[in-house]
Amino acid sequence: MKKFHVSRKLIIGGILLFFYLPILYLVIFSFNDSRSLTNFQGFSLHWYEQMFSDQNMLEAIYYTLVIAVIATIVSTIVGTITAIGLSKSRRIVREVVTQINDLPIMNPEIVTAIGFMLFYVSLHIEKGFATLLLSHIAFCIPYVILSVMPKLRSLDPNIAEAAMDLGATPFQSLRKVIVPQIMPGIISGALIAFTMSFDDFIISYFVTGNGVKNISTLVWTMSKRINPSINALSTIIVVIITIALILVNILPIIKSNVEKKNPAMGRRVIALIMVPIIAAAGFGLFWLKGSSGNASASAAIQKYGSDVLKVYNWGEYIDPSVNKAFEKKFGVKVIYDTFDSNELMYTKLQGGEAFDVLVPSDYMIERLLNENLLQPLDKKMIPNLDQIYEGVRKLPYDPTNKYSVPYFWGTVGIVYNKKNVSKADLDKEGFNILLDQNYKGKLYIYDSERDSFMMALKALGYSMNTTDPKELKAAYDWLVKLKTTMDPEIVTDEVIDAMVNGNKDMAVVYSGDAAYILSQNPDMDYYMPAEGTNFWSDAMVIPKNAPNPKLANEYINFISDYEQSYKNSIFVGYASSNADVLHDLSSEGGEFAGNHAYKPRIHYKNDEVFQYNDKTKKIMSDYWTKVRIAK
Amino acid sequence: MKQFRRLTYPYIIWISAMIVIPMLLIVLYAFTKQGNDVATLQFTFDNFTKFFTDPDFLKILFLSLRIALITTILCVLIGYPVAYAIAQASPARQNFYILLITLPMWINMLVRTYAWIGILADNGVINNILQFFGMSPTKLLYTDFAVTLGMVYNFVPFMILQIHSSLTKMDRSLLDAANDLGANKVQAFRRVTFPLSLPGVISGITLVFLPAVSSFVIPKLLGGAGKPLIGNIIETQFITVGEWNFGSAISMIMAVIIMASMYVTRKLDKDNDEEKGKRGRAL
Repeated sequence: MKKFHVSRKLIIGGILLFFYLPILYLVIFSFNDSRSLTNFQGFSLHWYEQMFSDQNMLEAIYYTLVIAVIATIVSTIVGTITAIGLSKSRRIVREVVTQINDLPIMNPEIVTAIGFMLFYVSLHIEKGFATLLLSHIAFCIPYVILSVMPKLRSLDPNIAEAAMDLGATPFQSLRKVIVPQIMPGIISGALIAFTMSFDDFIISYFVTGNGVKNISTLVWTMSKRINPSINALSTIIVVIITIALILVNILPIIKSNVEKKNPAMGRRVIALIMVPIIAAAGFGLFWLKGSSGNASASAAIQKYGSDVLKVYNWGEYIDPSVNKAFEKKFGVKVIYDTFDSNELMYTKLQGGEAFDVLVPSDYMIERLLNENLLQPLDKKMIPNLDQIYEGVRKLPYDPTNKYSVPYFWGTVGIVYNKKNVSKADLDKEGFNILLDQNYKGKLYIYDSERDSFMMALKALGYSMNTTDPKELKAAYDWLVKLKTTMDPEIVTDEVIDAMVNGNKDMAVVYSGDAAYILSQNPDMDYYMPAEGTNFWSDAMVIPKNAPNPKLANEYINFISDYEQSYKNSIFVGYASSNADVLHDLSSEGGEFAGNHAYKPRIHYKNDEVFQYNDKTKKIMSDYWTKVRIAK
Repeated sequence: MKQFRRLTYPYIIWISAMIVIPMLLIVLYAFTKQGNDVATLQFTFDNFTKFFTDPDFLKILFLSLRIALITTILCVLIGYPVAYAIAQASPARQNFYILLITLPMWINMLVRTYAWIGILADNGVINNILQFFGMSPTKLLYTDFAVTLGMVYNFVPFMILQIHSSLTKMDRSLLDAANDLGANKVQAFRRVTFPLSLPGVISGITLVFLPAVSSFVIPKLLGGAGKPLIGNIIETQFITVGEWNFGSAISMIMAVIIMASMYVTRKLDKDNDEEKGKRGRAL
């Protein structure tokens, strides 16, 4: 018997270790001084500071809690009432309703999510708080019904009848007889509903919009880029949940202990403990809401027609203080949402969402222009246009800058470890070095069909804007060869952290990310092949359906001035479009002095800007799926 | 009691709008061409043909099912001993253990999965420890192993809870009876405990298999871009590619496969129960 005891403890201990080690890891690294997720470089509260100064995060916590609380209350009430009704309904009704009710539980969540999304889109309901809340209520109710139903089944129907015979109204018998008896089921239903809503990612991801984010969707956007404030946020969640669960489990014990001594005191003690906690929670919510900023300035409304500006930009592409400065200066509120690919942005626009300012890349601007979705800038309102660097003016997608003001720009190139990769090989082979067996297993490829086809086409000596199916097929074969013979790792933004740590010797990255890598790891350098590469620019544009174009022009002007451009370029590490900022940061004494990646070459004859072509995009996209899984 | 029936009406309207119509919309999108509006619907089977004639999509579907199956098996193999060990403890202890097991589930699933990246990375915690002991680092992140690990980590609590609850519901006197009738411990487990805990295993299997097949978060974070599963394909169709019709078709295919496998699992369970003349419910 003794031996059995030990093995039991080992099993339970083992699984708990498995469950808690990653959480412990999160907590430890939330105090890490550096950005790295793998190297602990000293204790700091830096990420907590950043978290509490990040409006997005505070708002996400606020929305998560508000949605979870409302969804729990509504779904518990509706679910309980329905379950009671169902238990008295005819068998056929009950069967059909429970079958349909089971659908969201039996269906993969992603299918339910897509269903909701298509539903809102086809009704032209704008995605945001309302759709998020509706969806959460909708997927919580089935769980409440599921947990209340068994309690109802085991309930003696005669008791409610008896209550009514004794003169109770149906409502009274419901409230005083049925509900108290099924209370445990209701409570566990409510708990499940709260957890489901609090934790939900998949459904929220598909149905939210308009800058409304819950913790999960925010973490998802943040996880594209290494951001240890996620760890700080998680640590705080861990602490709060641990305290809450301890309270839930300890309160009844305290209550029963006190009641043993003094039966009347039990409730009072609970109240004494619970009231301050609930008050603190309520105050916390209020504070979160308060800090999420609600500057309603009548002056702004008078001048611009509205005091809200909706901006849609790349993730991790702005210094957070920039939007705050704008809000303060103009007495408005900026709803700031982020995307991680041009295609995602485009799909969102198709879904019917309207923004005031977008920051798409060159070829996407071309596409938006082709589809007549942009409006011309009001240049009188943007005097800072004069400050734009001449290298990024008048690019082919918008030759007169009628529609767009460049934001960041750069090239695509190879970051390589000077110690392990010979410069001679790079000069000799260009992009073809990615097929050089000497470097097998030592490369990262960025998960982007456009950039991958770009390097393949350039390596083969073609134009990256080719529409020739034969050339595209050749590029596809080149990529398959790369995938199958070189053992590359296909990655997204985690490549930045990985190259800073020197995990591998070569990576194809954007110059701005390369600038950051070079600044963190002196062994790394940036190389642009002589056969040419992609010269790109992300620029601010105003969509045709922008609710507040006047303020949008004001914003574009504000972002382009020296001070804001300076802050942005330092924070993000990408090349500024403001000529003076670019000069100051890259020359002697500047933040990026001597950094080969910060200010890449311009006007190089073999470099090209992407052009939009619907047909080749589809071909590349299909090919790329195949390349990714090629073995 | 009939007056209570009316309580159901609001919800019937609600589910028609929020469950039935969205499902029908997916079917509608799956069978129509891209870019047409409701006024000019063009029906087509192209979306399905595209999926079933492309060996790569079929391969991804197969890989997804395989990884989900492996995850489910691992969850049973890990979850059962744990649930069994917990069920042996005193009731107070059991509650404590169950609390410890549910606590991590309250922490955002994305966050918990995200933590594994730093642990499994090439220069992450595990590889640092390996190197410290003079062993050569191995590639852990962005492998099938990482994806399976992430899935087991996220889903095994469901399995433990289901099996545990079926074990505790079991009538203890049956074990005493088996003992009295001369069965040894192993026999008693094999002939009494295990069969009685099967409903828990089955409902655990459904709870693990379902999210494992369709997950796109875990494969994306731990499998990297080189290991897309069927959930990732659906996600890209909707979020980046913008081909909702094709995405809907794949969703439908996946939903049908899952529902069919659930149905078979439950059916097996029921047949099993009927043989023994016992009534059992999976969920």
